[in-house]
Amino acid sequence: MNAITFENISKYYPSTEVQASDNVSFSIRKGEIHAICGENGAGKSTLMNILFGLERMDSGRILINEEEVTLRNASDALAHGIGMVHQHFKLVPSFTVAESILLGTEEKPFISKKSEVEAVRELSEKYSLPIDPSALIDTLPVGMLQRVEILKMLIRNVEILILDEPTAVLTPNEVGPFLDTLRNLKERGKTIIFISHKLQEVLDASDRITVMRKGKFIGTKESKETNIYELADMMVGRKVLLSVDKKPSVPGETILSVENINVTSSSGLKILDNVSFSVRRGEIYGIAGVSGNGQEALIKAIAGEVQVRSGVIRISGKEVQNLSVEQKRKAGMAYVPEDRVHVGLNVEASLLDNSLLGYEDEKCFKKGMFLDEKKLRERAEKMISDYQIYGSSVDGLVSKLSGGNMQKVVLAREFEHVPDLLIVEQPVRGLDVGSIEFVHKAIIEERDKGTAVLLVSVELDEILSLSDRVGVMYSGSLAGELSGDEINETNIALLMVGKKGGVE
Amino acid sequence: MKKIKAINLAMPVSAIILGVIASMLLIALTGVSPLSVLETLLKDGFGLSGKVAPLFMTLGTSTPLMLTGLAAMLGFKVGVFSIAQEGQYVMGAIIAAWLGASLNLPSPIAVPMIMILSMAVAALYGLIPALLKVKLGVNEIISSIMMNNIAAYVLEYLVAFPMRADAGQKAQSAVINRDYWLYQFVYGSRWGISFVIAVVLLIVAYFVIFKTGKGYKVRMVGQNINFASYGGIRSDKVIITTLTTGAAIAGLAGCMEVLGNYHRIMTGFSSGLGFDGLSVAMLGMSHPAGVFIVSILLAGIRQGAQLGLQISLSVPRELGAVLIALVILFVAVSDVYRPALERLLSRKERKNRRKEG
Repeated sequence: MNAITFENISKYYPSTEVQASDNVSFSIRKGEIHAICGENGAGKSTLMNILFGLERMDSGRILINEEEVTLRNASDALAHGIGMVHQHFKLVPSFTVAESILLGTEEKPFISKKSEVEAVRELSEKYSLPIDPSALIDTLPVGMLQRVEILKMLIRNVEILILDEPTAVLTPNEVGPFLDTLRNLKERGKTIIFISHKLQEVLDASDRITVMRKGKFIGTKESKETNIYELADMMVGRKVLLSVDKKPSVPGETILSVENINVTSSSGLKILDNVSFSVRRGEIYGIAGVSGNGQEALIKAIAGEVQVRSGVIRISGKEVQNLSVEQKRKAGMAYVPEDRVHVGLNVEASLLDNSLLGYEDEKCFKKGMFLDEKKLRERAEKMISDYQIYGSSVDGLVSKLSGGNMQKVVLAREFEHVPDLLIVEQPVRGLDVGSIEFVHKAIIEERDKGTAVLLVSVELDEILSLSDRVGVMYSGSLAGELSGDEINETNIALLMVGKKGGVE
Repeated sequence: MKKIKAINLAMPVSAIILGVIASMLLIALTGVSPLSVLETLLKDGFGLSGKVAPLFMTLGTSTPLMLTGLAAMLGFKVGVFSIAQEGQYVMGAIIAAWLGASLNLPSPIAVPMIMILSMAVAALYGLIPALLKVKLGVNEIISSIMMNNIAAYVLEYLVAFPMRADAGQKAQSAVINRDYWLYQFVYGSRWGISFVIAVVLLIVAYFVIFKTGKGYKVRMVGQNINFASYGGIRSDKVIITTLTTGAAIAGLAGCMEVLGNYHRIMTGFSSGLGFDGLSVAMLGMSHPAGVFIVSILLAGIRQGAQLGLQISLSVPRELGAVLIALVILFVAVSDVYRPALERLLSRKERKNRRKEG
């Protein structure tokens, strides 16, 4: 029996002129874990929002348990037993777990704390999702927050649970238990739909997989009968190289050296504790670690203007820890920041303006006192063709570009500096398979040209496939450094949780 | 590029048309024929007949608007909604009236000197809220309002006591040295050398903002300060320099109003010219060309309302202010109808493309 059947669902957004859903038809069986995969902008979230009543479809039918339904809003969906956990949690920080879960389900005018706590405890035991009902939302890690969101749906007796990119926010250590939770819910008869573009976990966790591309339904596969390559091909529509081709590195002299740096927060907390490492010309040094273990402060100290309390940072021998960003860039640093929409780019400006940042004072781009527009324009045109940036002309706004193409603009500009030191932070976060391949190749090419690359990523796969050496951050210090054959998943994972003894 | 430009032009134009339609409806309610009002407004605001052609007078009154509009625009460009032009304008005027009445130098030396000193004092006056904003994070709107009030009361005090010309008369300063009066193209029109200076400054501003590295920094800081700082732009420095430059320009507007028009200062000297600069910058879509056109348009409407409506149709001249206010209102709510306008434009574009193809 099918829990949900989509029949010819179409949805067009006139403002952005995007056909987000194009005659999509497929069904989801009762009691299965069904994954929906696709690149960014493939229409996965739109379809799920339609199912949860958040968006109206232009045409088509939705059948729940073989019966046609109209879903005008989220309460309609909940009434039909459909629940959704969004990628960005919608929780009140000052509430307790019990309050958050029960919010909106109160039937009596007065509530009793005791019975609330009791109800949540019962629920969490029933589904074996242990949680402390009286803990404050504020104090919980992301994995627990997700659990709260799931329980919030379960107490409303949903039979079908939609999860939008549930693993995107989890640390690698949290993903395993989360997938167990899904299997556990399935055993209790729930139907699970989850959106993801991480193919390995999709294969691990789901019974069937539906692939979408550019708003169209491409196909549904039994997870046991398919593999990562077939799925990737379906998603992208062409053959994709999943592992990156990489020659062994030929390191040269030291470019970046970080010596015993310490950073404290304004409240006196130690954020970085005696961190030392160095990156040489022609190698990629990966900084791995669960996010929030000091990577942010480390990058800010090297590429931004965070004051270090003690220690020395050198770029090509020059002390830079007290210099401005401008001076650091002059010393040969280029930086691809994690947040490309708010930091790496000015999305309200044209591609031309975005390609100019950092060069506006360069003599070679000036004609008299003015900027040499012709030269800059030619340079931007060249970036567009060299980096295969699709979706905009030189004068078009960057906001019109897709995530992958935005990142290409950042790379094009930063690589143009011919840097000695390149810092890349989460370079493929939120990108689709095709763009990931492009970005990774570009970073390796940059390395082969003799740049020292510092890569910061919380994605183990990325660290493993790109790095020549790896440093693992744990609670503000470098828990260990790996090179050559020592670089493997187990060693990194052990260091990530602070087990220094893991590597001998 | 073309699409962006079309929408930027369509916005103020549609706001003006809607504003005119709405005020014509208002007029019709009072029983006066809207068409005759429109005709009078055009004739007395932009006409070329009469002893002193109304158009010349409009060009004269548009001059300080261009400058305060440019000053406000600089703030917008660097992402700061600074409303401090009023106070800076008054400061510039005070310095000009004081030096104009007390200096005893030949005019080729004195006039540039007065202008430069007025600008310098206004710039210093503008530096205060700029520093407060950048160094301490003080809201620029609140500090600007305070600074405007201080300037207004300083002016009231000065013309009432130390700078007062004669005890019996209205509180006003002495008339400045006749040699320092700025040249007017048509006597009695206020249209003169200061207009040329304003236009030259607008042109310079255009080139600096859109064609130089400095202007690039200003635009990037205004649009996305995180982006600018990430790329090594000293955003604090950029904000401070841009705001003080704007302040100097607002000061020059006050200075030239004294040298070219009033020849003295008196109570209620400013009558909100600094604030008008904000409307001009907004309606002009923060572009020097827009500021130029809108200044003349607003000055003309005001002029036509004052000369024509009040005198020949006995419609209160405040109607001019109502019309301007309605236009600004339509700009302010433009977010509501902007998507519709965009859709209209893109549909037209598609049709054109189809025709070409």
